[in-house]
Amino acid sequence: MLSEPEIRTNLRAWVRRKSAADLGADFGDGTPLFEGGLLRSIHVPELVLVLERLRGAPIDVEALAPCDFQDVDTMIGRFFA
Amino acid sequence: MTGLADLTRIGLRWQPSGRAGFTGPLLALADDLDETFRSLAARWNAAEERHPAALPADLLDRLGYLESFPQQATFPVGLAPVEDDLGHRVAADGSVVLTRQAPVTEVLTPAACYHLYAAHEGETLTGPLYLTTRNTCFRQERRCEPLRRQRSFTMREIVCLGAEAETAAFLSQARQWADDLARLMGLPVSWAPATDPFFRPRTSPGYLMQRLQPSKHELLYADGLALGSVNLHRTHFGEAFGITRDGAPVSSACVAFGLERWMYAVADRHGADPANWPAREAAA
Repeated sequence: MLSEPEIRTNLRAWVRRKSAADLGADFGDGTPLFEGGLLRSIHVPELVLVLERLRGAPIDVEALAPCDFQDVDTMIGRFFA
Repeated sequence: MTGLADLTRIGLRWQPSGRAGFTGPLLALADDLDETFRSLAARWNAAEERHPAALPADLLDRLGYLESFPQQATFPVGLAPVEDDLGHRVAADGSVVLTRQAPVTEVLTPAACYHLYAAHEGETLTGPLYLTTRNTCFRQERRCEPLRRQRSFTMREIVCLGAEAETAAFLSQARQWADDLARLMGLPVSWAPATDPFFRPRTSPGYLMQRLQPSKHELLYADGLALGSVNLHRTHFGEAFGITRDGAPVSSACVAFGLERWMYAVADRHGADPANWPAREAAA
């Protein structure tokens, strides 16, 4: 199991790879991912797989709720607590 | 009430394939309901449009429909235009044994509003655009029930294309007016967030985004039957069809009414005697 800082680093790196936006130094764990236009709906299935790999457990997509993927901080609290 | 025998007595002509025809009181009710929905559309000065029964398959593919809902798509199929191949016969179970098929290039209308976005492709809007249309819609349902779930049914839609704030205001107003309409007709209803029946939902971006950012709410009759829905598409159709406003893809939203389901709700709530049904004038 990765440590929380390692998980955060992995998630930020994945967002940087996938985002069409030019993410500068102000991109952080509280930056809105979808509202901010960094990610689009096409990215969601892969994001689910990334989260499952990082936490080593499946995610019940039927239990997903609005704002679960709001930002990195939210995902850490929702899927790694 | 609302068993098949009762419904048949007041005008239902049910085909076991999952399709309904109407005569007498039920036909009059269908016309009255649609006129009522049109009167709602008139509140936005929505322009009426009429479109054909099918859409080009490549157009629906652009929208991701065939990837998201392949299990519901219904295709018009013809025989290959070769004289030797035009023979066919009907088997004992009622199925047609086809010879060689012509290429399938169309999909029977799955939702009435798709035609509207396609019809306005490439347009530049200077203000909100309100449209309304009605069409017979086709979906491959596994289990059918008269008026409640059919393989072909009638959908009246009202659509707003515009700025994000305009589509949000449209949906808010549509919900209120649909509520008022149901109340005036004596139908107990409630609203609930909903997701569309995506194929392989776990890997469907559309389904997952509907979970994360609810964009569809259904108007539910007392027993949970969805009489209609309001849907926020954001810029999905604006982007797909190049419809712009101030240089950017427009947002869109729609309110959809399933005519047969409203007919079911009226007959279920008020009984089989048309004299007890709410008057259209009251609702209008």
